[in-house]
Amino acid sequence: MEIGVVLPFLFNGVVLGLIFAVVAVGFTLILGVMEVINFAHGGLFALGCYFAFTVQQMTNFWGGLIVAPLVVGAIGVLIERSAVRKIYGEDPLFGLLMTFGIYFVIEESIRIVWGPAGYSVTAPPFVSGAINLGFMYYSKYRLFLALISVGVIIGVWIFLEKTPYGGVIKAGAVDSEMVMALGHNLPKLRMFVFGFGAALAGIAGVIAAPIWGIRPTVGVEVLMPSFVIVVLGGIGSFWGSVIGGLLVGISTSLMVLFFPRASDIIPYLLMTIILMLRPRGLMGEKSILEE
Amino acid sequence: MPTQKKSLKISMHPLIPFFIIFAVLPYIPFLGEYLSLWIEVMIWVIFAISFNILLGYTGLPSFGQGAFFGIGAYGAAITFLRLVKGVWIPIIVGIIVATAAAAFVGLFVCRKRGIYFALITIAFSQMFFFIAFRWDEVTGGETGLSGIDRLSIGIPRLFSIDLAPLLNYYYFVFVFLVICTLLIWRIVHSPFGRVLRAIKENEVRAKYAGYNTSLYKWVAFMISGIFAGAAGALYTLLINSAFSFVLHWTQSGDVVMMTILGGGLVNFFGPAVGAVIFITLRDMLSAYLRQWLLVYGLIFTLVVLFMRGGILGIFSKRRR
Repeated sequence: MEIGVVLPFLFNGVVLGLIFAVVAVGFTLILGVMEVINFAHGGLFALGCYFAFTVQQMTNFWGGLIVAPLVVGAIGVLIERSAVRKIYGEDPLFGLLMTFGIYFVIEESIRIVWGPAGYSVTAPPFVSGAINLGFMYYSKYRLFLALISVGVIIGVWIFLEKTPYGGVIKAGAVDSEMVMALGHNLPKLRMFVFGFGAALAGIAGVIAAPIWGIRPTVGVEVLMPSFVIVVLGGIGSFWGSVIGGLLVGISTSLMVLFFPRASDIIPYLLMTIILMLRPRGLMGEKSILEE
Repeated sequence: MPTQKKSLKISMHPLIPFFIIFAVLPYIPFLGEYLSLWIEVMIWVIFAISFNILLGYTGLPSFGQGAFFGIGAYGAAITFLRLVKGVWIPIIVGIIVATAAAAFVGLFVCRKRGIYFALITIAFSQMFFFIAFRWDEVTGGETGLSGIDRLSIGIPRLFSIDLAPLLNYYYFVFVFLVICTLLIWRIVHSPFGRVLRAIKENEVRAKYAGYNTSLYKWVAFMISGIFAGAAGALYTLLINSAFSFVLHWTQSGDVVMMTILGGGLVNFFGPAVGAVIFITLRDMLSAYLRQWLLVYGLIFTLVVLFMRGGILGIFSKRRR
């Protein structure tokens, strides 16, 4: 097979992987700091798609890109304050069940507000069409999307690694009691992390909408890969989520070319193999979450 | 007279009233008319009680248990359509396939617990879902498999029972319910079950006491898969078909919900109570309510917020 045939699929895979990575990073952040498996994350992603869709009809692409994640972040804060904070420190099962329920509340609310049908979203005019890369033509919007995703991922990394807030958040994931004893406001920190993670899902939703289209169940389509990504990347690891996202994206996309029917299954096969070789995932280390 | 009361209590095994309720249910006026609903309820009772071996007794939050239910369902359906037209062999194959799948997944999760356990079980259950969804030649893909008729059981030339009428099938499933419940009761009240409870209380301590906790967890996972597979196979015969929804991730959520809702964390019968309430509620509400999913989601959230001990948990608290 010619490389010219494979390349677009490889590029699509990277773009897909970057979207997954943005979702998975937010998911991992919530998982790491609060020990909550946030099933509602897919719903927040879907809300990002829909809010952007509505806001963009009133303003433009940038309006949606800024407003939608903020609104989704606020909804995340609301969810955290009204429900999720009641189950911190409990069996992880309760967080899972609760957010599972919240997911369905979101999905059904979307059906009530926007209707059960899906919509297609057009890419903003300044990045519509294709660009000549010299060796092939490629969608401008997908490149733009990749750029934003990389920007978001690096931004989050800088925030976590280079700012004092990041230090507190990371410490909160390791020893929440100590963080509180040192005088940090842990409830506020957790609320912020949940909102921040939700906003990341929202951003991913906004930028993915033009290539995926939107429908009430779009959240699950990105939530399920998130589980695989965090497991194969290593639970609680930032770069694990990014690498896991890229692996899942690229393998899925290449499989679409070679053996389309297995494209849904390949991430799980990858996960199985990786877990056999490294039971904690690629970047997973022994952590307190295990005990 | 208090002494008499006490002796009565001892002679009355708690499983007996439980079995009696299901034995007479078809003959209770009004309620007895909903035979197919009650069969589904009994199937879910088997599934939920067996699931509770993991959740309530071992403290393992499996969120992918629907996979083994679904694999049992598909195993039975495929066997019926391709190998043997019968009743017993499809059910047995369904159970074996589900157990094998549980043994496989168990290898990856038996050293994990908590969040890790939950995440990996979810991921594997999705894998099985996609296999069923995409492997058209064998599983029928999106449309699934149909035409799995309930045939007769019996001994040739001696007697035979036609399972096609719902009432006959009701008692067929009832026999399974009795056998499975008795077995699970024995398992959780055996020395093996005591080790499982020790693992729930404190796995590290159980390990230091000399128990190979990973092995125990693996076996518990497999046992749970056996019964989930049986429930799935019975379900295939009930609806005469198998389609990818039986493997859907919501199935896994439902069985966890039933177990918590009824009070599986505090009582052996919790999952059964939860299954009865959840399935009947789902049946009624989803038929009459257009926004059923909204209520469905709210139930999950509210139960976790306000009644983690479940329904039986409320009573046990009051008594104290």
